[in-house]
Amino acid sequence: MNVTLTVNGELRSASVPPETTLLVLLREHFMLTGAKTGCDIGDCGACTVIVDGKAVNACLMLAAQADGRTVVTIEGLATREGLHPLQQVFEETGALQCGFCGPGVIMTAKALLDENPSPSTQEIRTALAGNLCRCTGYVKMIDGVHEAAKMLQSTETPALAAPQQR
Amino acid sequence: MKPFGYVAAKDSGHAVALLAEYGKGAKVLAGGTDLLADLKNSPHPPPDVMVDISRAADLKGIALTDAGLRIGALTTHTEIVDSPLIADTLPALAEAAVVIGAVQTRNLGTIGGNLMTCVPSMDSGPTLLALDAQVTILGPSGRRTIPLSELFVGPRRTSLGFAELLVEIVIPKKNVGKPSAFQKFGLRKGQALALVNAAAGFWGGDGVFAEPAIALGAVAPTVIRAPKAEAWLAGRPISEEAMAEAGRIAATEAKPITDFRASAEYRLDLIAVLVKRALAGAHARVTPNQKDLAS
Ligand SMILES: Cc1cc2nc3c(=O)[nH]c(=O)nc-3n(C[C@H](O)[C@H](O)[C@H](O)COP(=O)(O)OP(=O)(O)OC[C@H]3O[C@@H](n4cnc5c(N)ncnc54)[C@H](O)[C@@H]3O)c2cc1C
Ligand code: FES
Ligand code: FES
Repeated sequence: MNVTLTVNGELRSASVPPETTLLVLLREHFMLTGAKTGCDIGDCGACTVIVDGKAVNACLMLAAQADGRTVVTIEGLATREGLHPLQQVFEETGALQCGFCGPGVIMTAKALLDENPSPSTQEIRTALAGNLCRCTGYVKMIDGVHEAAKMLQSTETPALAAPQQR
Repeated sequence: MKPFGYVAAKDSGHAVALLAEYGKGAKVLAGGTDLLADLKNSPHPPPDVMVDISRAADLKGIALTDAGLRIGALTTHTEIVDSPLIADTLPALAEAAVVIGAVQTRNLGTIGGNLMTCVPSMDSGPTLLALDAQVTILGPSGRRTIPLSELFVGPRRTSLGFAELLVEIVIPKKNVGKPSAFQKFGLRKGQALALVNAAAGFWGGDGVFAEPAIALGAVAPTVIRAPKAEAWLAGRPISEEAMAEAGRIAATEAKPITDFRASAEYRLDLIAVLVKRALAGAHARVTPNQKDLAS
């Protein structure tokens, strides 16, 4: 079957078998390997992408269900001006270790900040409950989300603060 | 995943027509959070055709109608959490929705899928059962409405028949706004199924437990009511001791099992505690004249 969707601002199509998940579509047909295949059953959050503004597990959605929708993956965050504040802070502070969980964590955090520009620590922890990390203790990630929230709200980085294409 | 066919339903009527056309080999797909996860691990052959209802707009929405509070089967857990109408009239359901899985699951998973998977630990079940929810079912021969209690048959078994679709859940008018609360205890605060969950509600404007209702999950083959505890509470003056005693009675009405998550004994203790907390949570929502205002 044919599916056509907006991925990171670009209209893309593919012909795939119906049992193809959004995750397989992104990784194996569009070669966007940022979203990771971890558990493949909704537990770990490594596959998190944003569909129509909401963070979802790409492993639990059929590509067919994403037809006509707007998907943002980790590859869609950086702009010509540089990395997204979440990426920048995570890199600078060593919030990630092996990095496998990173794309999922950052996409979940991005969806949170889009809806709630200055979340409390508890709100960040609740949002990240479905993103498992086997390396870090989550502390620097949570600090990093606070830091990125501040950067996004400051006027010094207007280019980065501008809404990303959704 | 093993190969299967796929059709997208435009609306509920179309979905039923497709289910009838494809017969036994067809399966309804809503948010997919249960179904797709199950299919990936299942030793059984996949369905022939997935009937995707996720675009059927008539299955969505939360609204007050003449019958009561209507929640479309395709309403996601996030939509329940974010709904001002639910916050106003049925906050216990939002308390249940917000502890389902993690945000990614809540954005995809639907209330209809939660009920239809019919696992005893479903978090939407207790509140709806305690408030005497009715469900509307659409099939090839039309619509029918049954109490939610008659939808649940056993673990992963409902009373839905051939080519039937769960369309909506309705909280009857008389219970809209009834003070109620939901409690869940899992091994972690996020991304964990309930070891036990419970909901309780009552009208308390006159200082006594009026029309008390208690429902329990994960402690019997389906979500159940606790009629003995309810009968014991009815008409009694509101007190913490009475709430605790109702919890102890409710524990005698359940038949929890021991599994890898918890022992039956532990679950019995949890029932007593969670029922007491749910009653206290409902009590915190009691205001004078509430019942008269509701009806
Ligand atoms: C990581 C993870 C964590 C979870 N945590 C929880 C939790 O804490 N608490 C909890 O209660 N659940 C939990 N779940 C289970 C699941 O997310 C919910 O039950 C969800 O509400 C299912 O809805 P869905 O729309 O995704 O259903 P689907 O997977 O699309 O469907 C589930 C079943 O219902 C049938 N169905 C769906 N809609 C209809 C309809 N309208 N009419 C007839 N049949 C229908 C389908 O055919 C299928 O058999 C979790 C799942 C995952 C993956
Ligand atoms: S790969 Fe999707 S949640 Fe783990
Ligand atoms: S950094 Fe290794 S899993 Fe999170």
